[in-house]
Amino acid sequence: MIEMLEIDKLKFSYDDKNTIIDEINLAINQQEFTAIIGPNGSGKSTLLKNISNLFTPDSGVIYLDSKNLNQIPPRKLAQKMSVVPQDTSISFNFTVYDIVMMGRHPYQGRWGQVQDQDREKVEEALALTDTRQFRDRDLNSLSGGERQRVIIARALAQDPEILLLDEPTSSLDINYQREIFDLLAYLNQEKNLTILVVSHDLNLSSQYCSRLILINRGRIFAGGSPAEVLTEENIGQVYQTEVKVRQNYLTGRPYVVLMPGRAECVPTRLQQDFKIHLISGGGTGQELLQEFYERNYHISCGVLNQGDSDWELARRLGCEIVDIAPFSYIEESDLKRNREKIEEADLVVVSELPFGHGNLKNLEQLTGFSDKKIFLLQERSIAERDYTGGQAEKLWQQLIERPETRVFNDRQEMLEEIAGRASSP
Amino acid sequence: MQIKYKYLIVILGTLAAVIVSFILALVHGSTDIPVRTVIQALFSAEGDLARYAIIIRRIRLPRIALSFLVGSGLALAGVVFQGVIRNPMVDPYIVGISAGAGTAVTFAIVYNLSFSLFYFSTIPLFAFVGALLTVMLVYNLARVGSKIPVMTFLLAGVATAFMLDAVRSFVMVLGTQDLQRVVFWLMGSLSGSSWADITMILPYYLLGLLPIIFFANDLNLILMGEESAHHLGLNVEKVKKLLIAGATLVTAAVVAVSGSIGFIGLVVPHIARLLIGPDHRKLLPLAAVLGGVFLMLSDMLARSLLPPLEIPVGIITALVGGPYFIYLLRRRKSESW
Repeated sequence: MIEMLEIDKLKFSYDDKNTIIDEINLAINQQEFTAIIGPNGSGKSTLLKNISNLFTPDSGVIYLDSKNLNQIPPRKLAQKMSVVPQDTSISFNFTVYDIVMMGRHPYQGRWGQVQDQDREKVEEALALTDTRQFRDRDLNSLSGGERQRVIIARALAQDPEILLLDEPTSSLDINYQREIFDLLAYLNQEKNLTILVVSHDLNLSSQYCSRLILINRGRIFAGGSPAEVLTEENIGQVYQTEVKVRQNYLTGRPYVVLMPGRAECVPTRLQQDFKIHLISGGGTGQELLQEFYERNYHISCGVLNQGDSDWELARRLGCEIVDIAPFSYIEESDLKRNREKIEEADLVVVSELPFGHGNLKNLEQLTGFSDKKIFLLQERSIAERDYTGGQAEKLWQQLIERPETRVFNDRQEMLEEIAGRASSP
Repeated sequence: MQIKYKYLIVILGTLAAVIVSFILALVHGSTDIPVRTVIQALFSAEGDLARYAIIIRRIRLPRIALSFLVGSGLALAGVVFQGVIRNPMVDPYIVGISAGAGTAVTFAIVYNLSFSLFYFSTIPLFAFVGALLTVMLVYNLARVGSKIPVMTFLLAGVATAFMLDAVRSFVMVLGTQDLQRVVFWLMGSLSGSSWADITMILPYYLLGLLPIIFFANDLNLILMGEESAHHLGLNVEKVKKLLIAGATLVTAAVVAVSGSIGFIGLVVPHIARLLIGPDHRKLLPLAAVLGGVFLMLSDMLARSLLPPLEIPVGIITALVGGPYFIYLLRRRKSESW
């Protein structure tokens, strides 16, 4: 086995704070077909960009044929290594032939004079990738899979020893995915090309590549044959998700099966069914509204004056609001609308709002419900908030004495209690 | 074979256009001179011809040559900027060149800084220096480490142009008595041009042309995307910088003598690309010639439409180029250029 590429203690970060590659050591032998796999943000694409000299490592060295890759002149490097980048869109109308011919750039003179050898190599690359029929077509008139093959043809026209590909099938349908990987396997076996592909597709990599490198958080988590790397334990740890690994009996390679989760997040979504009617005003309901909203409860708001800061927030959060004109008093018709909301609600919450003659009816109305669950928040005593000469305090006491009322002196405690009720059926 | 045939037609057609528009531009003007007289006057200044010889040789010929130079320069710079930035909506002024030149010229006119140095008016000098300083500023604003990300470059250019235009407007408000001269310059005009103008800008123009010619093929690779170009063995940052420098120099030289003539740098590259495709080795020469012809004809119209009044040629190019550009846009079917 002859070593093609050696990565020695590679470190890389975009800025000083976030290390993307945290020491990677790796050797790739000639004629290997290797896939670098790993979750999003694990550093696999960044690793490829270091190997292709697009980025210069912070420390460590990459050797290509025992030479420091960063010191190889760009043209010389392009003669040995070609790269199929992730984004291959080209917004100018070049023909397929022109584009593949650009692969000959590292061998051509200043103005791209075409020699016989260039023509031969381009024809060969077109034939290998089965793109001859598109020769004079514009690249943009081709389908995604066809376009990807043209870009691979361009890479082959560079006559490389090693071919790097960054997510070559990420946006393709499965028929094209197969087509591309079949082509790569053919190039690897018949043309002795060393291939290194970055992919997030575990199963494609497993079926085609002889070696997998699993990267996690800028380090190699596991490396070796697909059977060695793709274990339930490895994937469980790196991707933090439960999978089953089976064997493809036709190829003998492992394949990963996703297990539909028991999904802990689903009940939160169902909490939309838990209805809270909030009586507040003057900004005392803001924190509660925010909390209820984030916990996905269904919120309606008790009689509020338009323009009140609680009213503003409730409106922004899309809550149902029973509202009246600014500074006006609560009328019988408003109470009727409010009653409907209270009856629908699973729970009524009263914030520590100050009471005046304008909104006293809110409190009065609540005393009329005998078996409704009511939570009163009372971090500040009612006496401090009573501007009705004792009437509000009296009603408040009346409410406290109801069997279905609970009083909380601590906001957090109340929120926890609500959360408990919301999640129990 | 069909492709070769197409190139031949384009080349012959362009050649014919150059000759015809050259003759038309010599013939028409504030007074029309018959073709026969024009040709005679080119070769002899005897007797009756003396008067025409002066008009033809000293006034029209330098002006035609300059209009060709300016038009081709703007078109070339347009092609280069569109290529480097990989966006066909870009024109040579995008990086603040015209704003910089305009502001400098406004200062010079309003504060009477213009005087004659040897034979030259200093106005073009101010325009040139203003343009170069602005691009240098934009370039440094856009720089991240040793790289010039294309989007940042573009945005820095647009922002700088806005600020400079504000400064210019402010200076114009202060110097109302000179408003007409400033406005005339801003509209772009070739009136009063002489051979001296040409010799003045030619060195910069040619210097700017060098990298454009030298890296014409590399510009094709850049169209593949900067990453791809890198993988194909191109030192992208170096080539990009030199191309921007070249196109800037050409534009600055041109702006110095013509003011900011709009639309050529945007429209002509499109027309050329439509005719011959995106390969810069063919596109650049064709765009240069078409740009030259376009401005030559526009300037002819500017001189002869309302004699003795001369219309600023920028108005003509925009009025002719604008509708044609919109026509192209409406006709376009695919997403690519």
